Amino acid sequence: MKEKTKLVYKVIVGIFLCFLLLPLAVIFIWSFTKNWPWPKILPENFGLRGWLYFINPSSKSISTLIFSIFLSFTVTVITLGITIPAAKALALYRFKGKKLIELLIFAPIIVPTVTVAMGIHLQFIKIGLANTFLGVVLVQLIPCIPYSIRILKSVFELIGEDMELQAKVLGANSLQTFIYITFPILLPGVISAGSMAFIVSFSQYFLTFLIGGGKIVTFSMLMFPYIQSGDRMMGSVYSVVFILTTLTFLIIVEKLTNKFYKNKLKEHNYV
Amino acid sequence: MKVINLKEKLKPYLLLSPILFILITIFVSGIIMGFIQSLGYFKAVGLTQFSLQYYKDVLGSKGFLSSLSFSLYTAFTSSIIAIVCGVLLSYAILQIKGKKEVVESLYRVPVIVPHIVSVLLIYNILSQSGLIPRIFYEAGLINDHSQFPSVLYEGNGVGIIMAYLWKEIPFVALTTYTILSKVSNKLSDVARNLGGNKRQVFFYVLLPLIAPSVFSSFIIIFAFSFGAYEVPLLLGPTQPKALSVQAFIQYSSPILANRPYAMVYNILITLIALILTGLYYKAFEKTYKYHR
Repeated sequence: MKEKTKLVYKVIVGIFLCFLLLPLAVIFIWSFTKNWPWPKILPENFGLRGWLYFINPSSKSISTLIFSIFLSFTVTVITLGITIPAAKALALYRFKGKKLIELLIFAPIIVPTVTVAMGIHLQFIKIGLANTFLGVVLVQLIPCIPYSIRILKSVFELIGEDMELQAKVLGANSLQTFIYITFPILLPGVISAGSMAFIVSFSQYFLTFLIGGGKIVTFSMLMFPYIQSGDRMMGSVYSVVFILTTLTFLIIVEKLTNKFYKNKLKEHNYV
Repeated sequence: MKVINLKEKLKPYLLLSPILFILITIFVSGIIMGFIQSLGYFKAVGLTQFSLQYYKDVLGSKGFLSSLSFSLYTAFTSSIIAIVCGVLLSYAILQIKGKKEVVESLYRVPVIVPHIVSVLLIYNILSQSGLIPRIFYEAGLINDHSQFPSVLYEGNGVGIIMAYLWKEIPFVALTTYTILSKVSNKLSDVARNLGGNKRQVFFYVLLPLIAPSVFSSFIIIFAFSFGAYEVPLLLGPTQPKALSVQAFIQYSSPILANRPYAMVYNILITLIALILTGLYYKAFEKTYKYHR
């Protein structure tokens, strides 16, 4: 009986994994396909046409990809810069208007960001932010903020203020306290908040399209026409690159911080 | 002493000031500007009269109700199924014993994939020349691809719902799994020792524990799928169009005088999403209180 229920759970997990991963395997195959006519279950010939087009400098794919990573990285850094102090305030302080401010911060989850972008577009044109890098970065902060706060706030709630206070009692100034105490404890939370912000920013299509006005071209925007026109091979090439880029970024960040973290811990042990 | 007190009092506001600056200058003023334009004030094309005419036109149009119900239907169906499947998936992973790091990292992959890619995935699988019709053909279930039911670009919204499910099931599972894996063992053991069976442990111990985060995931995915543009634009039918698609069509119309219509759709989407969130919240608070 017990073995049977265990098997049931394995089957459930297996079915879900098939649903989630099989489509990804299909785009991977499509990206190397030359010819895949109906009703073949596997392609007739394989080819590299899509990939060759992708690496060809005239398609501007690689330069757009690098630009996109840079843009999303900028958004991530600014998001962290403004959400770390805000999350601290929300987690550790009591003050007037807190409920209202929390509502405002989480509202971008409910209100579609494109709505906001359409509303602000005219103002952005007037003050010269439309069609600029800065304008796109500013508007992309909006969907990133609530997710980052959500993660960081719970981390701050978990660690509390005691460690900081101890450091201060022992004579550390605010900057020292932040660098040596708050930041290292926060780091895992910062990593997941930053990863989330990067993913949200990197995936934006309409927001960038609206505010960037076609002047600021991100990777999602290169990819969109292929998917819209149903070009499976090219759409698959770009999708595979998109997924691999995000995965690589996340793995690098995690590895780097693990390294940093371990070194810090080592130092800590020696002291 | 008083000075320090004041400083302490101001500190949270100081910490919050950058984020509030961004939210007020872009988010809040974006909504206000959209609202003003929805009332027909759009100076750039010489519209300077405030009126409710645009609201009347939109609310009175034939397509509005079908657009609204289509948006509600796809958002609601996908969110409910995603919640049920997401909780089931996380619970099932938890029940598997032994090494499961691979499973744990594999099921979350869709979280990093953007919605437009999930559209391509569903298109590859479910369109009439997709993989599933090919498998059906091979199995002799159909003789031609036209015999496979068309599920994309249809009023039944299957394509849209599937594209959302592919993204949202892992999202829900991720949230619940984190909590379940932390609390599950100890509390379940206690409940089991007290004579509860697996089903009772799940419904009376684990479910109340994950309820708040399941609820907030529901709000997030519902509001997102209700207001999002990409998926219904790419996989939706020509009729009825989702509200968000209507807004986008009006916005990208070369006739700038149509801009207020786009804003009316946007304001309506925002209002409906806010009201529904408020209602869900009320309902949740009520049931949650009774459970305690």
